[in-house]
Amino acid sequence: MNDPHILLENVALNLPSPAGEVDILRGISLEIHSCETVGIVGPSGSGKSSLLMVMAGLERATGGSVRVLGEDLTAMGEDALARLRRDRMGVVFQSFHLIPTMTAIENVATPLELAGKPGAFDRAAELLEEVGLGHRRTHYPAQLSGGEQQRVALARALAPRPSLLLADEPTGNLDAKTGAQISELMFRLAAEYQATMVLVTHEVSLAASCGRLVTISDGAIADDQRKAA
Amino acid sequence: MSAILRLALRDLRGGLSGFRVFLICLTLGVAGIAAVGSISEAISRGLAAESRSILGGDVSVSFTYRFAEDDERAWLERLGEVSEIADLRSMIGLEGRPEERALSQVKGVDAAWPLYGEAGIDGPPLAEALSPVDGVYGLLTEPVLAERLGLTPGTLVRLGTGTFEFRGTLTSEPDVASQGFNLGPRSLVSLEGLRQAGLLGPGTLFDSLYRLRIDDGNLNQMRAGFKDAFPESGARWRDRRNAAPGIERFVQRMGAFLILVGLAALAIGGVGIGAAVRGYLTRKTATIAALRTLGASGNTVFAIYLIQVAVISLAGIALGLAFGAGAVALAAPILAESLPVPAAFGVYAWPLFVAGAFGAVTAVLFTLWPLAWLREVRPAQLFRQGVDDLQRRPAAAQLMLLGGMLVLGAVVVLALSGAWNLAAWVMAGLFGAFLLLRGLGWVLARVARASSHQGVARNRPGLRLALGAIGVPGGQTPGIVVALGLALGVLAAIGQIDANLQRLIRDQLPVASPAFFFVDIQNDQLAPFTASLDTLGADRAETAPMLRGVITKLNGIPAAEAPIDPSGAWVLRGDRGVSYAATPPPGTVITEGTWWAEDYTGPPLVSFAEEEGRELGLSIGSTLTVNILGRPVTAEVANFREVEWRGMGINFLMILSPGALAGAPHTHIATVHTASATEAPIMRNTARDFPNVTVIRVREQVERVADALGDLGSATRWAALAVLVTGLAVLLGAAAAAAERQVREAAILRTLGASRQAVLSSFALRAALLGLMAGLVALAWGSAAAWAVSAYVFDADFVLSPGTALAVVTAGVLLNLLAATGFALGALNRRPAEVLRLSAG
Repeated sequence: MNDPHILLENVALNLPSPAGEVDILRGISLEIHSCETVGIVGPSGSGKSSLLMVMAGLERATGGSVRVLGEDLTAMGEDALARLRRDRMGVVFQSFHLIPTMTAIENVATPLELAGKPGAFDRAAELLEEVGLGHRRTHYPAQLSGGEQQRVALARALAPRPSLLLADEPTGNLDAKTGAQISELMFRLAAEYQATMVLVTHEVSLAASCGRLVTISDGAIADDQRKAA
Repeated sequence: MSAILRLALRDLRGGLSGFRVFLICLTLGVAGIAAVGSISEAISRGLAAESRSILGGDVSVSFTYRFAEDDERAWLERLGEVSEIADLRSMIGLEGRPEERALSQVKGVDAAWPLYGEAGIDGPPLAEALSPVDGVYGLLTEPVLAERLGLTPGTLVRLGTGTFEFRGTLTSEPDVASQGFNLGPRSLVSLEGLRQAGLLGPGTLFDSLYRLRIDDGNLNQMRAGFKDAFPESGARWRDRRNAAPGIERFVQRMGAFLILVGLAALAIGGVGIGAAVRGYLTRKTATIAALRTLGASGNTVFAIYLIQVAVISLAGIALGLAFGAGAVALAAPILAESLPVPAAFGVYAWPLFVAGAFGAVTAVLFTLWPLAWLREVRPAQLFRQGVDDLQRRPAAAQLMLLGGMLVLGAVVVLALSGAWNLAAWVMAGLFGAFLLLRGLGWVLARVARASSHQGVARNRPGLRLALGAIGVPGGQTPGIVVALGLALGVLAAIGQIDANLQRLIRDQLPVASPAFFFVDIQNDQLAPFTASLDTLGADRAETAPMLRGVITKLNGIPAAEAPIDPSGAWVLRGDRGVSYAATPPPGTVITEGTWWAEDYTGPPLVSFAEEEGRELGLSIGSTLTVNILGRPVTAEVANFREVEWRGMGINFLMILSPGALAGAPHTHIATVHTASATEAPIMRNTARDFPNVTVIRVREQVERVADALGDLGSATRWAALAVLVTGLAVLLGAAAAAAERQVREAAILRTLGASRQAVLSSFALRAALLGLMAGLVALAWGSAAAWAVSAYVFDADFVLSPGTALAVVTAGVLLNLLAATGFALGALNRRPAEVLRLSAG
């Protein structure tokens, strides 16, 4: 088997709070391989979103080892982490986090422009067509519905053809029908781009679409199940 | 306590964060105005309290080129004790080394001087310092002159034809503030000594002053009595009620101007105040929505937040008054030391009331707008959009209310300013600049927003983000452009005016101006003097007879009652130069009328400066009476001449036909153009051969005037600094308000792979772009204002000073960078995961 895309060993995360240090993650060890689709589920406050942030290098583990796409994230500086995300990762959030002063196409082109890649806008236009928003490319986020904003966010995440797609409650702010459409789109495109996909969700149906289901409880892995092939 | 008041105060418990900028802006502006007003009041009271010392007596009567006649003196002595003084400028040189000379303003005093106050002397007591010892009179000088000539006690100096012994330095002079601008440092000798030095003979240029100590009596009656007794004396009468009118006027004008600069600071602060209130209401969206849902009417909500804003405003005003009055009280010892006039420092109610009223007007004008629409907004809108995202279309009633408050505010400022004319211009300028900048801010936001989608921003996400942030609807751009534009505009205007005045004085005048003025050339010295100039190689010398006279009547009407244009009033205020000539002096341009025949011997005729003549309502054939050496001369206007006062040539307001002044003792004045190499020989030669002749080096005097203007400029620059600090506070407020957006953008960009440097560059770029544009706009309107002042107030050409212009634009960029960078660094230091988790879209 190839090297795992994500290799977590005994990962801990403590964060300061007004009431003192809080243990968010406690000794998480996990291997995720190329092209896997992994759903992380668990009750609110169990640490699943924090785990995803650690995988994205947006949060620094306070203990253990984090290797993602062959890189040791704990040894990398902030800018090196940013470059890794720019070139090889895509991240989708529940709240979309589009840049409000930029149009849809500009939002999608931004990571490619940051990487200095030529034809950023052509590629962004293609992606918007792919997510069904070719006709909305010059619209601002405020002029788009929630579902449309999430499609733009998905297009932006896929723009650099990432090896790893991370999604935090991607359908959490959407109604059931729109959520289902986004979910279907995300799985289709991840497969098309041969990307490993890790998503955090509360949605049973979305979790059920994943090839592997990891359950987090109180900062630790409570269950890890693969679907039968 | 009413429910509204209770709710308002309860809601304030949530803290005052966000009101920091509000408090800083209001406090700074009010403190500045309170401080300037308090200093101005202290000087006015100081002048009033010390009026006798400043004037040197209860009454001062002065004559030009002559002493009081016996009957005049006797009349004055009937009123009380009299002290006689002579004041003139002359050269003081070292005995035996006549080339070591310096110009001095010499005062000869009798034994009674000073009637009030005391002279500060570093040396023996006054009487001992001035009295003759072995036939040699004593002399005191200001330390600067002693230093320049290397005088030590016992050094013998030459003054006129007399020898004096230097006995000490004069550190303070009680009646100095009532005198005008001196051409040189002060020397003090006894009147008798001065007389013996031959400097008070007929025809020499001196003023005599009679100071009176009067126990009681009606000053008005005394003045009228003197005028009735000696209607043609040409004497000038001043009394303790108006001891130093020039200084009083100057202090009032300067105080009014500085207060208006403070008002500009408040207006700039108003932008920050408005933004702070808007930000506060944004954070209170949930509370406002809940109150409206629970049944609070629009008026109730408006009243609740109006009370809160009023509480904060009162706190800001109180703090400002405390800081302003406190700063003056703390600095009083230093100020008293450095001010050339007496000041009675204290806490005075009126300047504090004015400062408080200006603060209140500002607070009302700038908070009413963000508060007023609270009455109209529907609760559902608040739940759906939040305060900040709402479209705020002004209702007609709000506009009328605001307009009414604006007019009321303007009336209050005009009434309290102390210089309503100046205040009206400043307010009109500020209002115009405010509207212009607000409009430009709006245009700038639109242009930036459109540009962010153009080719220039393609593949430059940092630039696109910067332009997008500048153009974001409801963003900080218009506020920043107004605050920074106003602050830098005021700086640009002051800087450009200052630079142009300095250029005018230092650079432009000397090109055409002579190297020397020589005064007090006696009739019998004129021929040998001009001959010696020729021998020494002077390029050009012009001479003219010189007398001084006071215009007492215009067309037979007493000058004080004649209907004249106020801009010509200065001509009648004191004595003016008078000359006579048989033929027009070289270069004379007659604009109307004709010159008299060379051999004219008829009734006196006068050639008058055209502009001033028109201002006095004169025309060809008009008559005017001039008192020269106590003798009234009535002359008919024969012609008008062009006079270029800035030319530094020999310019006389009045040139009389020769017969008019027949027999009047007089001296001559000369201007000499020469190369720098010949300046020293001419100085030496004059000192040796014509010791009574006073030399005035033009360049030295130009420097003195420029330095005096420089001092004035620095007072203005300190005031401008207050404007800038307020502007910076507003910028910090704007940066703080934009910080939340920046934090979110930084987190998103870093998630998408932007380096810290790339994010920081984008934030810096937006700050620099905005600062650059605000700086350019400020430069444009500030320079336009400076041009208007130069053209219409100083009647001078205007040249844009590149140094000042660059400084203003650079300041714009740097200030906004400074204000924004701290927050940008803060945004970068936040963990993206935390930010993204907490923020919703």
